[in-house]
Amino acid sequence: MRKRRLAGAMVTAAFVLLTAGCGSSAGSNGKTVVTLFHYKLEASDTFRKIQERFNETHDDIELKIESPNEAITVLKTRLVREDYPDIVGIGGDIDYSNFLDADLFMDISDFEGTGWIKPEYMEMEEQLELLPKDGTYALPYMANCAGILYNRDMFEENGWEIPGTWSEFLELCEEIRAAGITPIYLGLKDTWTCMSPWNSLAVSFASADVCSRVSAGETTFAVEYAETAEKIKALLDLCEPNPYAYSYNDACIAFARGEAAMYPIGSYAAPQILSVNPDMNIGSFTFPAHEDEADNVLTSGVDLQFSVMKECKNKEAAYEVLIFLYEDELVQMYADEQNAIPCKEGDFTLPTILDGMKEYLESGRVGDFHDHHYPSEMSVSGMIQTYLMDNSENAAETFLSRFDTEWVRYNRDLIARLKEYEEGTK
Amino acid sequence: MKKSVKINTYVLMLLPALILFAAFNTIPLFTGAYYSLTNYRGYGSYDFVGLRNYIDLFQDSRVGGSYLFTFKYAITGTILVNVLSLVLALGLNSRIRFKSLLRGIYFIPNILSGLVVGFIFGFFFTYILPAIGAALGIGFLSSSMLASEKTAWIGVLIVGVWQAVAMNTIIYISGLQTIPTDIYEASAIDGAGKWETFRSLTLPLMVPFVSINLILSTKNMLMVFDQIVALTKGGPAQSTESISYLIYNNGMSGGQFGFQSANAVVFFVVIVAISVTQMVITGKKEEQL
Amino acid sequence: MNWIRARFCLGEKEEKLSKSGVIITTLLILGCLTILIPLYMTIVIALKSPAEMTNDIRGALSLPSTFSLSNFAEAMEITDFWHSLANSFIITGASIGLALVIHSMAGYAIGRNMVRKKGFRLVYFYIVSGMFVPFAILMMPLVKETAILGLDNMLGVILLYTVFYMPMNVMLYCGYLKNVPMEIEEAASIDGASVWKTFWTILFPMMKPMHATVAILTALGTWNDVMTPLVIISGSESTTLPLAQLNFQTQFGTNYNLAFASYLLALIPILIFYIVCQKQIIGGIANGAVKG
Repeated sequence: MRKRRLAGAMVTAAFVLLTAGCGSSAGSNGKTVVTLFHYKLEASDTFRKIQERFNETHDDIELKIESPNEAITVLKTRLVREDYPDIVGIGGDIDYSNFLDADLFMDISDFEGTGWIKPEYMEMEEQLELLPKDGTYALPYMANCAGILYNRDMFEENGWEIPGTWSEFLELCEEIRAAGITPIYLGLKDTWTCMSPWNSLAVSFASADVCSRVSAGETTFAVEYAETAEKIKALLDLCEPNPYAYSYNDACIAFARGEAAMYPIGSYAAPQILSVNPDMNIGSFTFPAHEDEADNVLTSGVDLQFSVMKECKNKEAAYEVLIFLYEDELVQMYADEQNAIPCKEGDFTLPTILDGMKEYLESGRVGDFHDHHYPSEMSVSGMIQTYLMDNSENAAETFLSRFDTEWVRYNRDLIARLKEYEEGTK
Repeated sequence: MKKSVKINTYVLMLLPALILFAAFNTIPLFTGAYYSLTNYRGYGSYDFVGLRNYIDLFQDSRVGGSYLFTFKYAITGTILVNVLSLVLALGLNSRIRFKSLLRGIYFIPNILSGLVVGFIFGFFFTYILPAIGAALGIGFLSSSMLASEKTAWIGVLIVGVWQAVAMNTIIYISGLQTIPTDIYEASAIDGAGKWETFRSLTLPLMVPFVSINLILSTKNMLMVFDQIVALTKGGPAQSTESISYLIYNNGMSGGQFGFQSANAVVFFVVIVAISVTQMVITGKKEEQL
Repeated sequence: MNWIRARFCLGEKEEKLSKSGVIITTLLILGCLTILIPLYMTIVIALKSPAEMTNDIRGALSLPSTFSLSNFAEAMEITDFWHSLANSFIITGASIGLALVIHSMAGYAIGRNMVRKKGFRLVYFYIVSGMFVPFAILMMPLVKETAILGLDNMLGVILLYTVFYMPMNVMLYCGYLKNVPMEIEEAASIDGASVWKTFWTILFPMMKPMHATVAILTALGTWNDVMTPLVIISGSESTTLPLAQLNFQTQFGTNYNLAFASYLLALIPILIFYIVCQKQIIGGIANGAVKG
């Protein structure tokens, strides 16, 4: 009760500083207001343009786009405050899975645009459902991908060929080393960069639904990730000495300055690399994990997707905004400005940096980043770093068995619910 | 009659602080403690899980590791910070040139943002220190301190102490102001040496401030967070995960809000116990003098 | 009063630095290098462009190829500098103001009674223990609470700061009062002054050095704080400077050059404030307020 009394005492004071009220779906000018909250801070200029264009062409709806710093934390606080935006634009990752599991999103299967999206990305959305759920809750907008970035000019000067298989890759690295250049640069001080090669390898060797299958008790990571674990360790012989000393930023600088020929990271690193060396000619290719090129799979996942909040008061207006966002012209504009890959079917021009991955993208030979399914509190990236630094003989065993035990521990509630669900459907 | 009026005034003076404190510290603390009995994610629905989080806590090797790291860090850090800042305060308080300028400079580390500190010291540990180590032929310096599980905590500690000294120095300086200067005159007349004066006059009068600084720096060191985020993010090989880092990272950014609330409750009890012990000990010292 | 001048008024000709003074000054200047070198690196980076960032030591320590303040201008634009600065000023200033009034009253009430009265001693431990609560556990409940109370705005942030720094400040005031003899109030009480009046007319002014300390420590904590405004007011119009500075860091890239320029700008006001406060800390005693 103290709370309420305190409230009374403070209301007067609070009133002075209270600015515009929020939460209502009708704006002051009689227009329906749709708020779109997204997490792509780096794309806020592009979104500003989208907002302007939308509001110029629509008389009855006002689009308000918010792109705060630390968006996911801010979004969580807004959920606690019950101050819901209408549409959220987040990544197709574990955060989305958790939000969906908390039943925050609206089923949008009746939206006409669900058919516009490439099936491989729609499938990824289903994989992200912690418990199988009827309906459609997210529309993929843009994807990104990861593999290996390389220094095009350096490759051309030395006549190096893009490797298609694991042995070709190893041979190439030897050749590069013989030329006195570090083959690959790893910035393993930032644990999250460990995930990039890990994801590329995991996509190649483990099935896409490995996480849910482990949760269901059908398999173990010790089996599924054995080859991934083995091959990621091989990279340590190909990189600069003591990669744990260098951060993501150090690695970007080193790669931009030509200190290494290749950098196993995602396309998202390009802007940071180009800021150091604007003239750099960056190329990319799919991680050649297999001995047969036809088996290789490109890591590509949904980087930006839209969901309509369950609390959204005006579904039609929200759909109107989504239709606008998916206009080909806007999709292309976004892709160009943000070096992104449209998830919409159609004839879009891809960023030139992705030339080497184009084939995979166009034929849909893609698999989602495995870490999109790992609970962030489990710190798989930290576990991988620990494993890479572990020089003992049974390092892989230790790591994989830890992966299995921790997985069960961190997902205990989910596994119990999965079991319940399975029994319910039987 | 008069006495009770006096007490009432004191109570009234205390009231605004008490109300605010109860509203924005105690109530949310109890709410958080309640969540520690649930599997709350920070939003959405949740289930009551009883003491499960607490039982898990004592079986969690990462939590155990974080306690080891945090205490190793806090004990060395507290000692270093207090010795350095007391020395610095005495220096900055004595007859020197450029006093304002020097005081200003020594204040700067505390106001530099984490991003700046992380970048500059990251560069220092990754590139400069190994170069110096190589040039001087000092083996253990020649590779980055932050890249090894054995030494990374020292790197974090150096930065933590570097930043923390400023605040404790300010408190020591203001403590030195409460010492009446005529005491020094008297002691000078008695012919006491500098060390003698410090030991028998300055130090006893500084005890209240030593005790405040001990508590503050123990608390700040135990709650180390910013330096971890800036320098190591818990690495390498999860060797520098502090308790606060786990609570924030897994509780707020991750989905373990309930579990990490339990961690926070236990941690709170532990620090209170430590600080009460400290206060009792320094309180006895104060009484002796 | 000569000894006071000798101790506190520096740079006067009549005062000759003793030999030990010279040694101490030299040592302190040498110690400064541990701060000035990082500061130099910060400034150099703030003046460079991203294309001048390198991993080699000579490159990192070298001066920028062209000297230009454009990073500072751009950083100011991105953070909406004057607007964010004003908000930061309001929040820090109001927090300090509330701290000085509320915490000094509480510190006085506790400090003067805790030796004899168990209740006050309990309150002291109750408040001081609040210092040890990890912020992460309070965060979500506070978000909810401030929203219910309509305090998800700058006022809310100010009140939260008043609470967050209460334990430390109350402890400091209590500690300071231990060295202020009771005779002062006893004399006032004989003259018929009430506790309330004695506090505001005699004790409060006398605590000036501690006010300055409290002000600077509270400012230190609030000025750079990101977390509280982030969770309480993010998304509203009232952006603080540290909040706006997050704009330099995106998920996959940080513009260190602009960020450093911005952080250097943010450093200046608080540094000035600190130097002003330092004068108060010293000045308070030179006025001859406290004498045993």
